[in-house]
Amino acid sequence: METLFAISVMVIKMAVVIGVLLALPLPLTWMERKIAAHIQQRLGPMRVGWHGLLQPLADALKLMVKEDHIPEKADRLLFTMAPIIALVPPFVVFVAIPFGDTVTIFGTPVTLYLTDMNVALLFILGVAGIEVVGLILAGWASNSKYALLGSLRTCAQLISYEIPMGFAVIGVIMLAGSMSLVDIVNAQSGWWNIVYQPVGFFVFFVAALAEAQRIPFDLPEAEGDLGAGFHTEYSGMRFAFFMISEYIIMVLMSVLMVILFFGGWHASLIPLPGSLIFLLKVCFLIWVFMWFRFTFPRYRYDQLMSIGWKVLLPLSLANILISGMFFA
Amino acid sequence: MISKMRGWIGWIFFLDMLNGLALTLGYMFSRTITMQYPDKQKWQPYSRHRGHHFLKTNDEGDLNCVACELCAKICPCHCIKVVPFEDHKGNRRPSVFDIDLSRCLFCGLCEDACPADAIALGQVYEMASYDTSDLLVGRDLLRTIPGKVEKGGTVVGAKLIDREGVHVRETKGEHDWWRRVWGRRNKAKVRLRTHHT
Repeated sequence: METLFAISVMVIKMAVVIGVLLALPLPLTWMERKIAAHIQQRLGPMRVGWHGLLQPLADALKLMVKEDHIPEKADRLLFTMAPIIALVPPFVVFVAIPFGDTVTIFGTPVTLYLTDMNVALLFILGVAGIEVVGLILAGWASNSKYALLGSLRTCAQLISYEIPMGFAVIGVIMLAGSMSLVDIVNAQSGWWNIVYQPVGFFVFFVAALAEAQRIPFDLPEAEGDLGAGFHTEYSGMRFAFFMISEYIIMVLMSVLMVILFFGGWHASLIPLPGSLIFLLKVCFLIWVFMWFRFTFPRYRYDQLMSIGWKVLLPLSLANILISGMFFA
Repeated sequence: MISKMRGWIGWIFFLDMLNGLALTLGYMFSRTITMQYPDKQKWQPYSRHRGHHFLKTNDEGDLNCVACELCAKICPCHCIKVVPFEDHKGNRRPSVFDIDLSRCLFCGLCEDACPADAIALGQVYEMASYDTSDLLVGRDLLRTIPGKVEKGGTVVGAKLIDREGVHVRETKGEHDWWRRVWGRRNKAKVRLRTHHT
């Protein structure tokens, strides 16, 4: 009986996480369009629903009924596989992410995470890296020069920025003495890690922008020079899969930043439930991502590479050295 | 030396990027300049606007027009057709006054040529139609359509109505709540207004 209960709790939690993640791109596209509009002194979507709130549903409907076109010379198997390979890893990663502390529902303690892995951070960085495979396959299978160039750029960019990102979290790991995200959050119940690790946060933030393929690092889909990068040839739901994957990665990066640097669900000054505080912090970071997108231009490809290898990598190494000498 | 130092410090702390972010943040919470036509607002053109024609009437309620056909003569696109008749008071008036709006180029020459101050171009500009036969407007419509409106160059409240004839009806002006909340703060700073007075 107790096993059954535990399993059913686990299944419910998984269903909730998957449902929320699948639905999340809808409000996020609305938010992105509204932020873009207000930065440009427009109003954005206003006609479908209150302040255009139902606009994403209309867009989703449009994407679903659109022609699902596969180019004649494309590799059909890889072409259809690629969006799914790109979509799955961002979802898998959320297995290891805690959204709050233990809460008591009907007298039973329920943890607000699926698992508390002892190598959670390693798992997240590793699984998130698989997403690149989907993007490479998409570019290769499309049999289009824009898609291929876009996926080559994506590949180079994601690999270059995963290194400083991995190094940037080492300082956090040293402070917490653990790779488990729950332990890392609990280690920040006093001061948040951003106080001790400002350089680490900076490196992680820039690398997160690049990993989420957001401006100023959205070279993979630079519409000015590449059409739309690796999803040039995709339409309808397959394109929507790539878009969902991008939004989920943006959410993932915000969640990771909150957990690693902004104290997760800890906020000693504000008397709110931990999960709500967590949500507010994540929303704020997503807003910052969108604010950046409509403020900055795109970096050139060589600038992208030199920022990654000549600035972020040495900075993250120095950060490890200094954290190791003074904090660990 | 100091300016050079400042440049370096600025470069290290990304002052240029922070400036850009501050600018877009200001715009994000400033007044938007979108006119929500036709759902909520509508542009009322200046009185000099050359829109839909209208026929003026005198104190007795008769048309000013004496059916001299000068407007039809001067019209560069031959879109005015006037047929005169003698009304019960013995005046020469038009029995037919048709304007083909699909050919009219709204030059206003008919207004200039008119010796009786009978025809003028008003501020009505919503003439779109699904059927070109709607664009052939006759004497009675030209007589009843709104003429010159004193207030011009402003945004007025409006409402979209999906009925035959009037599509956008003017309403009392109303505003969007978050424009009112955030607009006040930046009104002086951002000098972009919906109406240029």
